[in-house]
Amino acid sequence: MDKNTDILNRLNHKDGMTVPEGFFDDFAQRMEAALPERPELSTPSPYIPRTTWQRIRPYVYMAAMFAGVWCMLKMFSIMGGGDRQPLESNPVMAEAFENEKFVNDYIFSDVNQWDIYDQLMEEGIDAQALCDSLAAFDSLQ
Amino acid sequence: MPSFMIMASIPSEDPQLVAQLRDPATVRQAFSEVIRRYSEPLYWQIRRMVQSHDDANDLLQNTFLKAWQSIENFRGDARLSTWLYKIAINESITFLAQERRRQNISLDDQGAALAATIEADTNIDGDRLAVNLRKAIASLPEKQRLVFNMKYFDDMKYEDISQILGTSVGALKASYHLAVKKIEQIISSDN
Repeated sequence: MDKNTDILNRLNHKDGMTVPEGFFDDFAQRMEAALPERPELSTPSPYIPRTTWQRIRPYVYMAAMFAGVWCMLKMFSIMGGGDRQPLESNPVMAEAFENEKFVNDYIFSDVNQWDIYDQLMEEGIDAQALCDSLAAFDSLQ
Repeated sequence: MPSFMIMASIPSEDPQLVAQLRDPATVRQAFSEVIRRYSEPLYWQIRRMVQSHDDANDLLQNTFLKAWQSIENFRGDARLSTWLYKIAINESITFLAQERRRQNISLDDQGAALAATIEADTNIDGDRLAVNLRKAIASLPEKQRLVFNMKYFDDMKYEDISQILGTSVGALKASYHLAVKKIEQIISSDN
Protein backbone atom coordinates (compact mmCIF):
# COMPACT_ATOMS: atom_id res chain seq x y z
CA MET A 1 0.00 0.00 0.00
CA ASP A 2 1.76 3.13 -1.17
CA LYS A 3 0.65 6.07 0.92
CA ASN A 4 3.23 8.42 -0.49
CA THR A 5 1.82 11.62 -1.76
CA ASP A 6 2.81 13.45 -4.95
CA ILE A 7 5.11 15.61 -2.86
CA LEU A 8 6.88 12.61 -1.37
CA ASN A 9 7.10 10.98 -4.79
CA ARG A 10 8.56 14.18 -6.22
CA LEU A 11 11.24 14.17 -3.53
CA ASN A 12 12.15 10.64 -4.60
CA HIS A 13 13.29 9.53 -1.13
CA LYS A 14 15.87 12.28 -0.88
CA ASP A 15 15.98 14.90 1.82
CA GLY A 16 18.99 16.89 0.64
CA MET A 17 21.29 15.92 3.52
CA THR A 18 24.93 15.46 2.61
CA VAL A 19 28.19 14.51 4.28
CA PRO A 20 31.69 15.87 3.68
CA GLU A 21 33.45 14.08 0.84
CA GLY A 22 35.23 10.93 1.93
CA PHE A 23 33.50 11.02 5.29
CA PHE A 24 32.63 7.33 5.43
CA ASP A 25 36.09 6.15 4.37
CA ASP A 26 37.68 8.40 6.98
CA PHE A 27 35.14 7.35 9.55
CA ALA A 28 35.85 3.65 9.05
CA GLN A 29 39.59 4.21 9.49
CA ARG A 30 39.12 6.44 12.54
CA MET A 31 36.66 4.03 14.10
CA GLU A 32 38.85 0.98 13.60
CA ALA A 33 41.76 2.84 15.18
CA ALA A 34 39.58 3.98 18.08
CA LEU A 35 38.35 0.51 18.97
CA PRO A 36 39.83 -0.41 22.34
CA GLU A 37 41.67 -3.68 22.72
CA ARG A 38 39.58 -6.50 24.15
CA PRO A 39 42.12 -9.11 25.22
CA GLU A 40 39.38 -11.18 26.81
CA LEU A 41 37.89 -11.63 23.32
CA SER A 42 41.09 -12.67 21.58
CA THR A 43 42.24 -15.04 24.35
CA PRO A 44 40.32 -18.23 24.04
CA SER A 45 39.26 -19.73 27.34
CA PRO A 46 41.60 -22.57 28.42
CA TYR A 47 40.35 -26.06 27.61
CA ILE A 48 39.46 -27.97 30.75
CA PRO A 49 38.87 -31.68 30.09
CA ARG A 50 35.66 -33.00 31.58
CA THR A 51 35.84 -35.83 34.07
CA THR A 52 33.97 -39.07 33.57
CA TRP A 53 31.56 -38.09 36.34
CA GLN A 54 30.84 -34.74 34.64
CA ARG A 55 30.12 -36.56 31.40
CA ILE A 56 27.77 -39.17 32.84
CA ARG A 57 26.20 -36.94 35.50
CA PRO A 58 23.20 -35.87 33.40
CA TYR A 59 22.40 -39.49 32.57
CA VAL A 60 22.74 -40.54 36.21
CA TYR A 61 20.41 -37.75 37.27
CA MET A 62 17.93 -38.76 34.62
CA ALA A 63 18.05 -42.42 35.68
CA ALA A 64 17.57 -41.39 39.33
CA MET A 65 14.57 -39.32 38.34
CA PHE A 66 12.95 -42.24 36.50
CA ALA A 67 13.69 -44.55 39.45
CA GLY A 68 12.04 -42.04 41.77
CA VAL A 69 8.97 -41.85 39.58
CA TRP A 70 8.80 -45.67 39.44
CA CYS A 71 9.05 -45.90 43.24
CA MET A 72 6.28 -43.34 43.65
CA LEU A 73 4.01 -45.21 41.26
CA LYS A 74 4.77 -48.48 43.04
CA MET A 75 3.97 -46.91 46.40
CA PHE A 76 0.68 -45.51 45.14
CA SER A 77 -0.14 -48.89 43.67
CA ILE A 78 0.47 -50.63 47.02
CA MET A 79 -1.52 -48.03 48.92
CA GLY A 80 -4.37 -48.35 46.44
CA GLY A 81 -4.53 -52.15 46.83
CA GLY A 82 -3.59 -52.84 43.27
CA ASP A 83 -0.97 -55.35 44.39
CA ARG A 84 -3.43 -57.80 45.92
CA GLN A 85 -3.31 -61.34 44.63
CA PRO A 86 -6.02 -64.04 44.75
CA LEU A 87 -5.86 -66.31 47.80
CA GLU A 88 -5.63 -69.38 45.58
CA SER A 89 -2.17 -68.31 44.42
CA ASN A 90 -0.91 -68.43 48.01
CA PRO A 91 -0.24 -72.14 48.84
CA VAL A 92 -0.50 -71.63 52.63
CA MET A 93 -3.89 -69.92 52.37
CA ALA A 94 -5.13 -72.43 49.79
CA GLU A 95 -4.31 -75.30 52.12
CA ALA A 96 -5.97 -73.50 55.03
CA PHE A 97 -9.20 -73.01 53.08
CA GLU A 98 -9.34 -76.70 52.30
CA ASN A 99 -9.43 -77.39 56.05
CA GLU A 100 -13.11 -77.31 57.05
CA LYS A 101 -12.31 -76.82 60.73
CA PHE A 102 -10.18 -73.78 59.97
CA VAL A 103 -12.94 -72.27 57.88
CA ASN A 104 -15.58 -72.90 60.53
CA ASP A 105 -13.41 -71.64 63.37
CA TYR A 106 -11.80 -68.64 61.79
CA ILE A 107 -13.86 -67.60 58.79
CA PHE A 108 -17.47 -68.27 59.79
CA SER A 109 -17.08 -67.79 63.50
CA ASP A 110 -17.89 -64.13 63.25
CA VAL A 111 -21.01 -64.68 61.18
CA ASN A 112 -24.18 -64.62 63.28
CA GLN A 113 -27.57 -65.94 62.28
CA TRP A 114 -28.92 -62.47 61.50
CA ASP A 115 -26.28 -62.03 58.86
CA ILE A 116 -27.34 -65.31 57.34
CA TYR A 117 -31.02 -64.30 57.41
CA ASP A 118 -30.19 -61.00 55.73
CA GLN A 119 -28.22 -62.75 53.05
CA LEU A 120 -31.03 -65.24 52.43
CA MET A 121 -33.62 -62.45 52.23
CA GLU A 122 -31.49 -60.59 49.69
CA GLU A 123 -31.22 -63.71 47.58
CA GLY A 124 -35.03 -64.29 47.74
CA ILE A 125 -34.86 -67.52 49.79
CA ASP A 126 -37.56 -68.10 52.37
CA ALA A 127 -35.58 -68.52 55.60
CA GLN A 128 -38.47 -70.13 57.50
CA ALA A 129 -39.00 -72.76 54.83
CA LEU A 130 -35.27 -73.44 54.82
CA CYS A 131 -35.24 -73.85 58.64
CA ASP A 132 -38.21 -76.20 58.45
CA SER A 133 -36.55 -78.35 55.80
CA LEU A 134 -33.29 -78.44 57.81
CA ALA A 135 -35.26 -79.49 60.94
CA ALA A 136 -37.01 -82.21 58.95
CA PHE A 137 -33.61 -83.35 57.62
CA ASP A 138 -32.17 -83.46 61.18
CA SER A 139 -35.17 -85.45 62.44
CA LEU A 140 -34.66 -88.02 59.71
CA GLN A 141 -31.11 -88.53 60.88
CA MET B 1 33.38 22.30 1.90
CA PRO B 2 32.88 19.68 -0.80
CA SER B 3 29.99 17.45 -0.18
CA PHE B 4 27.92 14.77 -1.82
CA MET B 5 24.72 13.00 -1.03
CA ILE B 6 24.53 9.31 -0.26
CA MET B 7 21.48 7.16 0.30
CA ALA B 8 22.77 3.83 1.54
CA SER B 9 20.70 0.70 1.69
CA ILE B 10 20.95 -1.84 4.49
CA PRO B 11 23.52 -4.53 3.68
CA SER B 12 22.15 -8.02 3.36
CA GLU B 13 22.86 -10.42 6.20
CA ASP B 14 26.16 -12.27 5.84
CA PRO B 15 26.28 -15.55 7.81
CA GLN B 16 30.04 -15.81 7.33
CA LEU B 17 30.57 -12.38 8.86
CA VAL B 18 28.32 -13.30 11.78
CA ALA B 19 30.33 -16.50 12.31
CA GLN B 20 33.56 -14.51 12.28
CA LEU B 21 32.14 -12.12 14.87
CA ARG B 22 31.58 -15.07 17.19
CA ASP B 23 35.09 -16.42 16.73
CA PRO B 24 37.64 -14.76 19.08
CA ALA B 25 40.36 -15.24 16.47
CA THR B 26 38.53 -13.19 13.82
CA VAL B 27 36.24 -10.90 15.80
CA ARG B 28 38.27 -7.72 15.45
CA GLN B 29 38.79 -8.08 11.73
CA ALA B 30 35.11 -8.95 11.28
CA PHE B 31 34.05 -5.92 13.31
CA SER B 32 36.12 -3.67 11.05
CA GLU B 33 34.12 -5.08 8.17
CA VAL B 34 30.91 -4.36 10.09
CA ILE B 35 32.00 -0.74 10.44
CA ARG B 36 32.67 -0.48 6.72
CA ARG B 37 29.35 -2.05 5.77
CA TYR B 38 27.02 -0.46 8.29
CA SER B 39 28.42 3.01 8.93
CA GLU B 40 26.46 4.57 6.06
CA PRO B 41 22.96 3.22 6.77
CA LEU B 42 23.39 3.77 10.50
CA TYR B 43 24.71 7.29 9.96
CA TRP B 44 21.69 8.28 7.92
CA GLN B 45 19.34 6.77 10.45
CA ILE B 46 20.98 8.77 13.24
CA ARG B 47 21.36 11.93 11.16
CA ARG B 48 17.66 11.97 10.27
CA MET B 49 16.87 11.86 13.96
CA VAL B 50 19.33 14.46 15.26
CA GLN B 51 19.75 16.48 12.01
CA SER B 52 23.24 17.76 12.82
CA HIS B 53 26.15 16.10 11.01
CA ASP B 54 28.53 16.58 13.95
CA ASP B 55 26.09 15.05 16.41
CA ALA B 56 25.40 12.17 14.03
CA ASN B 57 29.15 11.58 13.68
CA ASP B 58 29.59 11.41 17.48
CA LEU B 59 26.56 9.17 17.93
CA LEU B 60 27.71 6.82 15.17
CA GLN B 61 31.05 6.43 16.97
CA ASN B 62 29.23 5.73 20.23
CA THR B 63 27.05 3.18 18.45
CA PHE B 64 30.02 1.20 17.17
CA LEU B 65 31.87 1.52 20.47
CA LYS B 66 28.88 0.13 22.37
CA ALA B 67 28.45 -2.65 19.82
CA TRP B 68 32.15 -3.51 20.19
CA GLN B 69 31.96 -3.46 23.99
CA SER B 70 29.03 -5.85 23.95
CA ILE B 71 29.94 -7.93 20.92
CA GLU B 72 29.95 -11.10 23.01
CA ASN B 73 26.24 -10.47 23.72
CA PHE B 74 25.50 -10.73 20.02
CA ARG B 75 24.82 -14.42 19.63
CA GLY B 76 23.42 -14.36 16.15
CA ASP B 77 19.84 -14.97 17.34
CA ALA B 78 18.79 -11.60 15.91
CA ARG B 79 19.99 -10.19 12.62
CA LEU B 80 23.17 -8.15 12.81
CA SER B 81 21.46 -5.15 11.21
CA THR B 82 18.59 -5.33 13.71
CA TRP B 83 21.03 -5.40 16.62
CA LEU B 84 23.04 -2.44 15.28
CA TYR B 85 19.93 -0.42 14.43
CA LYS B 86 18.62 -0.91 17.96
CA ILE B 87 21.84 0.43 19.43
CA ALA B 88 21.89 3.38 17.01
CA ILE B 89 18.26 4.28 17.71
CA ASN B 90 18.80 4.04 21.47
CA GLU B 91 21.78 6.33 21.15
CA SER B 92 19.75 8.83 19.11
CA ILE B 93 16.77 8.84 21.46
CA THR B 94 19.02 9.15 24.52
CA PHE B 95 20.84 12.06 22.90
CA LEU B 96 17.58 13.86 22.08
CA ALA B 97 16.38 13.38 25.67
CA GLN B 98 19.67 14.79 26.98
CA GLU B 99 19.31 17.77 24.63
CA ARG B 100 15.79 18.41 25.92
CA ARG B 101 17.07 18.44 29.48
CA ARG B 102 20.07 20.59 28.58
CA GLN B 103 17.94 23.16 26.73
CA ASN B 104 15.08 22.78 29.20
CA ILE B 105 12.51 22.22 26.48
CA SER B 106 9.59 19.83 26.16
CA LEU B 107 9.19 16.98 23.67
CA ASP B 108 6.77 19.14 21.66
CA ASP B 109 9.19 22.05 21.50
CA GLN B 110 12.06 19.89 20.31
CA GLY B 111 10.60 19.91 16.76
CA ALA B 112 11.20 23.66 16.61
CA ALA B 113 14.73 23.25 17.94
CA LEU B 114 15.45 20.60 15.29
CA ALA B 115 13.96 22.87 12.62
CA ALA B 116 16.45 25.57 13.66
CA THR B 117 19.26 23.00 13.33
CA ILE B 118 18.01 22.12 9.83
CA GLU B 119 17.99 25.77 8.79
CA ALA B 120 21.54 26.20 10.04
CA ASP B 121 22.79 22.96 8.45
CA THR B 122 25.52 23.51 5.86
CA ASN B 123 25.68 19.88 4.74
CA ILE B 124 22.74 20.11 2.37
CA ASP B 125 22.25 19.65 -1.31
CA GLY B 126 18.61 20.12 -2.03
CA ASP B 127 15.92 22.63 -2.80
CA ARG B 128 13.47 24.29 -0.44
CA LEU B 129 11.10 21.35 -0.75
CA ALA B 130 13.72 18.99 0.67
CA VAL B 131 14.36 21.34 3.59
CA ASN B 132 10.63 21.56 4.24
CA LEU B 133 10.43 17.77 4.20
CA ARG B 134 13.15 17.54 6.85
CA LYS B 135 11.40 20.12 9.00
CA ALA B 136 8.09 18.32 8.60
CA ILE B 137 9.68 15.03 9.62
CA ALA B 138 11.35 16.74 12.59
CA SER B 139 7.94 17.89 13.81
CA LEU B 140 6.66 14.31 14.08
CA PRO B 141 6.66 12.39 17.37
CA GLU B 142 9.85 10.37 17.85
CA LYS B 143 8.32 6.97 17.14
CA GLN B 144 6.53 8.19 14.01
CA ARG B 145 9.73 9.83 12.85
CA LEU B 146 11.64 6.59 13.24
CA VAL B 147 9.01 4.59 11.39
CA PHE B 148 8.78 7.14 8.57
CA ASN B 149 12.56 7.33 8.14
CA MET B 150 13.02 3.57 8.05
CA LYS B 151 10.13 3.04 5.64
CA TYR B 152 10.43 6.03 3.32
CA PHE B 153 14.21 6.45 3.11
CA ASP B 154 15.53 2.96 3.82
CA ASP B 155 12.55 1.11 2.30
CA MET B 156 12.69 -1.37 5.14
CA LYS B 157 10.06 -4.08 5.51
CA TYR B 158 7.52 -3.58 8.26
CA GLU B 159 8.58 -6.95 9.72
CA ASP B 160 12.17 -5.72 10.08
CA ILE B 161 11.07 -2.40 11.59
CA SER B 162 8.86 -4.37 13.95
CA GLN B 163 11.88 -6.31 15.23
CA ILE B 164 13.93 -3.16 15.73
CA LEU B 165 11.25 -1.07 17.46
CA GLY B 166 9.40 -3.91 19.17
CA THR B 167 6.05 -2.76 17.76
CA SER B 168 3.43 -4.75 15.87
CA VAL B 169 3.31 -4.53 12.08
CA GLY B 170 -0.25 -3.19 12.22
CA ALA B 171 0.74 -0.36 14.54
CA LEU B 172 3.70 0.48 12.30
CA LYS B 173 1.49 0.66 9.21
CA ALA B 174 -0.92 2.96 11.02
CA SER B 175 1.97 5.07 12.30
CA TYR B 176 3.48 5.42 8.82
CA HIS B 177 0.12 6.30 7.31
CA LEU B 178 -0.39 9.03 9.94
CA ALA B 179 3.15 10.34 9.41
CA VAL B 180 2.61 10.63 5.65
CA LYS B 181 -0.66 12.51 6.17
CA LYS B 182 0.94 14.93 8.63
CA ILE B 183 3.95 15.56 6.39
CA GLU B 184 1.64 16.15 3.43
CA GLN B 185 -0.36 18.69 5.42
CA ILE B 186 2.72 20.49 6.72
CA ILE B 187 4.46 20.71 3.35
CA SER B 188 1.24 21.75 1.59
CA SER B 189 0.66 24.55 4.10
CA ASP B 190 4.29 25.73 3.75
CA ASN B 191 3.99 25.89 -0.02
